[in-house]
Amino acid sequence: MSRARIAPFPALLIAFVVGAGLISPAASQTASAPTPKSGGVLNMMLREDLSQGFAIHETSTISTVWPAMPCFNNLVLFDPLKKTESVETIIGELAEKWSWQDNFRNLVFFLRKNVKWHDGQPFTSKDVKFTFDMLREAPDAPAKLRINPRKDWYANIEAIEAADPHTAVFRLKKPQPSLLLMLASGYTPIYAAHVPPATYRTACVGTGPFKVKEWRKGEFIEMVRNPDYFVKGRPYLDGLKYFVIVERGTRQAAIQAGKLDASFPGETTKTAAEQLKKAVPQLVITPFSQNVSDNIIMNVKKPPFDNPKVRLAVSHAIDRRALIQAVHQGGAVVGAASAPKPLGFWGLSEKDLMGLPGYAARPADEKALAKKLMGEVGFSPEKPLRVEIVTRAIAVYVDMASFVINELKQIGIDASLKQIETAQWHAMATRGDYQIGANLTGIGPDDPDANLYENYACGSPRNYSQYCSEEVMKMIDAQSQELDPKKRLTLNYAIQRKLEADAARPILDWKLDYFTVWPHVKNLIPHQSIYNFGRMQEVWSDK
Amino acid sequence: MKTYLAQRLVVALLTLLGMSAVIFALLRLAPGDIVDILFSTAGYVSPAEKQAIMKELGIDHPYWVQYLDWLRQIAVGDLGKSYRYDLPAWQLIKPLVPVTLELAALSILFAVLIGVPSGVVSAVRQDTALDYALRVFSLAGLSMPAFWLGMVIILGLVTWFAWIPPLSYVSPTENFKLHAVQFLLPALAVGYRSSALIMRITRSSLLEVMREDYIRTAWAKGQTGRVVIWRHALKNAMLPVVTIIGIEFAFLIGGLVVTEQVFNLNGIGRLLVQAVQNQDNVLAQALVMLVVIVFVVANLVVDVLYAWLDPRIRYS
Repeated sequence: MSRARIAPFPALLIAFVVGAGLISPAASQTASAPTPKSGGVLNMMLREDLSQGFAIHETSTISTVWPAMPCFNNLVLFDPLKKTESVETIIGELAEKWSWQDNFRNLVFFLRKNVKWHDGQPFTSKDVKFTFDMLREAPDAPAKLRINPRKDWYANIEAIEAADPHTAVFRLKKPQPSLLLMLASGYTPIYAAHVPPATYRTACVGTGPFKVKEWRKGEFIEMVRNPDYFVKGRPYLDGLKYFVIVERGTRQAAIQAGKLDASFPGETTKTAAEQLKKAVPQLVITPFSQNVSDNIIMNVKKPPFDNPKVRLAVSHAIDRRALIQAVHQGGAVVGAASAPKPLGFWGLSEKDLMGLPGYAARPADEKALAKKLMGEVGFSPEKPLRVEIVTRAIAVYVDMASFVINELKQIGIDASLKQIETAQWHAMATRGDYQIGANLTGIGPDDPDANLYENYACGSPRNYSQYCSEEVMKMIDAQSQELDPKKRLTLNYAIQRKLEADAARPILDWKLDYFTVWPHVKNLIPHQSIYNFGRMQEVWSDK
Repeated sequence: MKTYLAQRLVVALLTLLGMSAVIFALLRLAPGDIVDILFSTAGYVSPAEKQAIMKELGIDHPYWVQYLDWLRQIAVGDLGKSYRYDLPAWQLIKPLVPVTLELAALSILFAVLIGVPSGVVSAVRQDTALDYALRVFSLAGLSMPAFWLGMVIILGLVTWFAWIPPLSYVSPTENFKLHAVQFLLPALAVGYRSSALIMRITRSSLLEVMREDYIRTAWAKGQTGRVVIWRHALKNAMLPVVTIIGIEFAFLIGGLVVTEQVFNLNGIGRLLVQAVQNQDNVLAQALVMLVVIVFVVANLVVDVLYAWLDPRIRYS
């Protein structure tokens, strides 16, 4: 297929979702839908019990964020009613308004008055200072988290001042306009200063629209409307109930039978969505980006992947589009380090993707190039390079790894699969105790700072490839400090091109979720990140 | 009998002690630990932070110290604290015991109600069409995994009736009808498999007994078929059946995991698998010890039943 015959990427995606018949008219629900009604309880599913209770700050899993978000508030949040998250869609929560000062060096939050914690204590700027001093592990922080996965997000904060009970000032070491996007993530709730952080592992004291009524371990979490919520008339719902359903077939049967009102973000594959739609045509199914990528991690500190030619050969060898069809049955899209448009905000355009290793329209050309590179380092399909490819012992990882092994075989890399149990996976990856791996990476907010510092910065514990480039670090810092949004976007395109050219962590695809709700569920709108739309404040039931 | 029971109690205690060592060792043979699992939700592992958490959880001590600590805790009735939930293990296990006990008991009841009569009929009508039909029925039960049958039941219900059983436990006082439905369906799925086993054992055991001299004597005395089979033959044929029932019941206490998952019943099996997957060793140890106790007690009950079923058996 020649390049000229390929439709532009967004057009392809739209054609795909419409063609699949997965979007029903109600999928385009917006804030202008019928007048919201109060009352009712929404029943939802969880794949597993809460791994760390409601302690969002101690986890990086949707299994915690999704059911815990309704209990909390952030200073700011991505507008739950808008599909695409960006700086323009940020709205105030505990902060009534905010102001950047001193050329994006100081961020001042003016907090809401008369906000109460679920235990009746007043919310003040002390709580804000407490939360962020704890998160950035300030020397004088009054509390410490057991595990602090997002410490790097706040590395640029020099100090936090509680100027008065209703004003909090973030003083930054250098300008960082994107800090606001990280503060708007579901991963950034405010904790109560008077509650020890360990308490959140078993209970939840928040300011959010819902209070925890009961957590029956392994069975369900029941939440009730917070009558003292600071937004008058919200939430609309009387309560929420999250059922823990471990068996995937039972989860699907429960939504089909109407026992559940909505699916779990990141749960519904394209095949499952098609089955559900066939069984219950009135279900509303919305394809959206999970902000989770399939990618290849190669240890740049160990042979043979310390050789850029071998890494590039791997990247050229893998036919991304074939992988999407074979492994995800079409339920994913190609993209580089950031989720591509229109699903994401920062992704490279179709034109730019086509010029990168592994993205060319003709897979045979890519394979030939990969073979040539392997030949230059002395390997061929007849005289293969033998390596061990590691992956997590979970079906979605193993399926992808099996496809990759087959692709690598064609260019002279004979890879044997080693499955690693979950308990060992991150420890092994952090230690760099592997040669090559098939990996999945989820990103909280769709913002380059959260993504790039976490996965590509020198020394980051989640930079599993241990790729470290001074040039890229300068580019990452530059985009972080860039005040002009257009220039920042351009810088990010350049970074993504550089990362792919270096085969730092070749991205294979960005997975789609087919979020499913019954038609009576209103205002539960999936965003381009699964981690940020679980507040439930605006959701109502038209039953 | 008292001496026998005292002896069995001592043996039971020794069994429990031996099993505690085996469980403790086996759980620690798996790679990784709870701290790795905690970090896995964060996506990285920091060696320094890991050490601090190990200290906090008391798993930085040598294994033999941890084992002795655990035994000391058990001796005073403390099962320890779940690493994952940060709650006493018993607090997590207690509400699940009635769920699993009820499901196991109902499953065994189904199994006996189906298995014993069909086994008797199959033996009495040996090599007839009815015998063949019942044997196929039992073979099907043995070949069909309970979880598969459970999933078929769920899918059948949702397809034809757009309905599935409740997603969380409904107590009998809350809604007896719903409670019954919630337990009867999984009990049927599990009971069918067990009934197949019981039916086959009943049939073969009864066939063997029916060839004994005393049965021939009973027939010769002109006893009716009902008296010969139900009073003379079946009572003696029941010894291996009772053994199977005892073992099946004990097995079901920890072995209902997949059925519990399919029907979304939060029972002991499901919690045990979760605890093992999460390397929540304290909780897993407590649960396995519970299953071991059930096995020991079930075996004791079976032995006592032997004496009741067969007057020739005397314990001293």
